Amino acid sequence: MARHYEVMIILDPRLDERTVAPTLDNFLKVVRDSGGEVENVDVWGRRRLAYEIAKHSEGIYAVLELFCEPEAVKELDRQLSLQESVLRTKVLRRDEKFIAAVRAKAKA
Amino acid sequence: MAKPPVRKPKKKVCVFCKAEKQGRPEPIDYKDTALLRKFISDRGKIRARRVTGNCSQHQRDVATAVKNSREMALLPYTSTAR
Repeated sequence: MARHYEVMIILDPRLDERTVAPTLDNFLKVVRDSGGEVENVDVWGRRRLAYEIAKHSEGIYAVLELFCEPEAVKELDRQLSLQESVLRTKVLRRDEKFIAAVRAKAKA
Repeated sequence: MAKPPVRKPKKKVCVFCKAEKQGRPEPIDYKDTALLRKFISDRGKIRARRVTGNCSQHQRDVATAVKNSREMALLPYTSTAR
């Protein structure tokens, strides 16, 4: 069953911010090929980390919102973890109720 | 005669339950660090329920959100700002 997922990625700060979106798009092929949907891609840009990760004090944050099969996210997460330029990832499942609450908040 | 200290416990209502009742629920999101910062001490520790006044369900949501946030380096595990 397809579900809503949210994937947060911290990328190496040495990357050029302009190349981030195309790079992410490349990763998202897995999702698209499996019939999943990419609902939103939000690149936050460079942000200070609360603590150092692999000697970096900054990171480029990106948040992806997906609607796809669990196998597709699992594969996406696996591929991301193999990338040297990806410092950290987090996959969360979001339920309808939560999404509705966030939307209502954004509108207000 | 020594009077025993009289404590008047002010009954706090969980802010999230209150928001829900007013029809505009406040989503507890690990990305919303401004919101979560209200529930951690300046040392970065999660504030206790008796301090925040949250109900058990919302306190739990806050705690998981803070922990997720820490994993993504949005909030500190510790901060030695003293």
